[in-house]
Amino acid sequence: MSQQTPGNSAPLPPRTGLNTVVLDPAHGGTDQGARGTEGISESDEVLQFATATKKALEAQGFQVILTREGNDNPSFDDRSARANAQRGAVFITMHIASTGLTGTARVYVEPDAPQANNITGLIPWDRAQTPFLSLSRKLGDLVQQELSKRFKGSPDTLQTAPVRQLRTTAAPAIAVEISSVSVKERAELDRMVPGVADAIARGLVEFRPTYVVPTIPVPGESVQP
Amino acid sequence: MSPKWTVWLGGVLLAAVIAAALYFPALRRQVNKAKDLTEKTAEQARRELLPVAPVSTGDPMVKVKMFWGSRGQEGELLPVIVELPLSRDPVLRAKQVLNTLLAGPVDAESRTLPPDAALLAFYILPDGTAVADFSDEIRTSIPSGIQSEQLAVESIVRTLEDNVPQVLRLKILIHGQEADTLAGHVDLTQLFRVNAKDVAGTQLDNPSPPGSSLPGPIRKAVDKMRQATKR
Repeated sequence: MSQQTPGNSAPLPPRTGLNTVVLDPAHGGTDQGARGTEGISESDEVLQFATATKKALEAQGFQVILTREGNDNPSFDDRSARANAQRGAVFITMHIASTGLTGTARVYVEPDAPQANNITGLIPWDRAQTPFLSLSRKLGDLVQQELSKRFKGSPDTLQTAPVRQLRTTAAPAIAVEISSVSVKERAELDRMVPGVADAIARGLVEFRPTYVVPTIPVPGESVQP
Repeated sequence: MSPKWTVWLGGVLLAAVIAAALYFPALRRQVNKAKDLTEKTAEQARRELLPVAPVSTGDPMVKVKMFWGSRGQEGELLPVIVELPLSRDPVLRAKQVLNTLLAGPVDAESRTLPPDAALLAFYILPDGTAVADFSDEIRTSIPSGIQSEQLAVESIVRTLEDNVPQVLRLKILIHGQEADTLAGHVDLTQLFRVNAKDVAGTQLDNPSPPGSSLPGPIRKAVDKMRQATKR
């Protein structure tokens, strides 16, 4: 793939400050994601979670962008591009699984990856997440701690998994997966919406002062996240 | 018509109705069976033509570690010891352990891969990179979610790691094709690091989007499988 994230030939100085949160309700359109009881589909439910989270974040002063607001299905790259076009953004992709202990939530980040041996000073699109991994872990830890306080049975620590959506995102990025569409009745999932929104908002409030936008490397220099 | 003939005719007609009622369910079963046979997919037909990894009776029984889901700990894998007559040939050995993994544990709840998924092909390249080609069902029948997809891939990787030391990295294909994800979540464009001694770890050094720059030997193996799929 020849795409590159917006890169710079001159180094940009480190900068504190989190400006924008990109929320990604996964799936959509013909891709309904997980399907469960009472005709629950992941793509519909996750939109409710994202909408409530947007409100909770805006109440804390964040600017929020949703990758979709209706029943459409942007590509992985289009979703990542919403964050990659910003400076000082974080990206949260939201999912509802068809398995797992109902009433729990898990946070995933990409596994460790070696830094690209890059001579152009640009971040390769396919590995855009790599320079942001330590920030993603910090954000993931904070959000997971908030989730495990609210949802008994959720893990205390974040998980790692090669989630496709995260790989091309040039920003601190986490996936939040809620269990599950296999609840006995829809109301069980609906009851989780405020808690998930609040946990994410509080995690981000804690993360905000520590967020330093990584320096974009120039040829011959290593990345300093 | 005399009353006697009317009774006889009525009796014959009643017997015919009863016979038809008894025969109809059997007839319907036969029709459905015939329909199922004609609707067999090309992939099912191909799968039947593929030779099953032979279980040589001459091979010694070996204790192998299979990684299935843990019922006690959600999202975790649990090693289960199984005795198999395992081949010394690494490709046959890999096919045997992966087919055992697909067959599933005694406890169906601990399954990590869909019961109707099949291993279509398996190669090991000279550099230790293995290519495993699974049928479509691995994508269409797996429960949707990051956790379930991650467990599926991890169970394959850890089972190979424990039983086939020659495999250093793994590329997963679905029906002979490179796939962006397993079922919408876990990234399959990469090579998964199987053996810890593969410190070079091409997996994350070189994620390769579908249709783009795969390393040459893997590209050849993928093309070979594509050809086989077309046939």
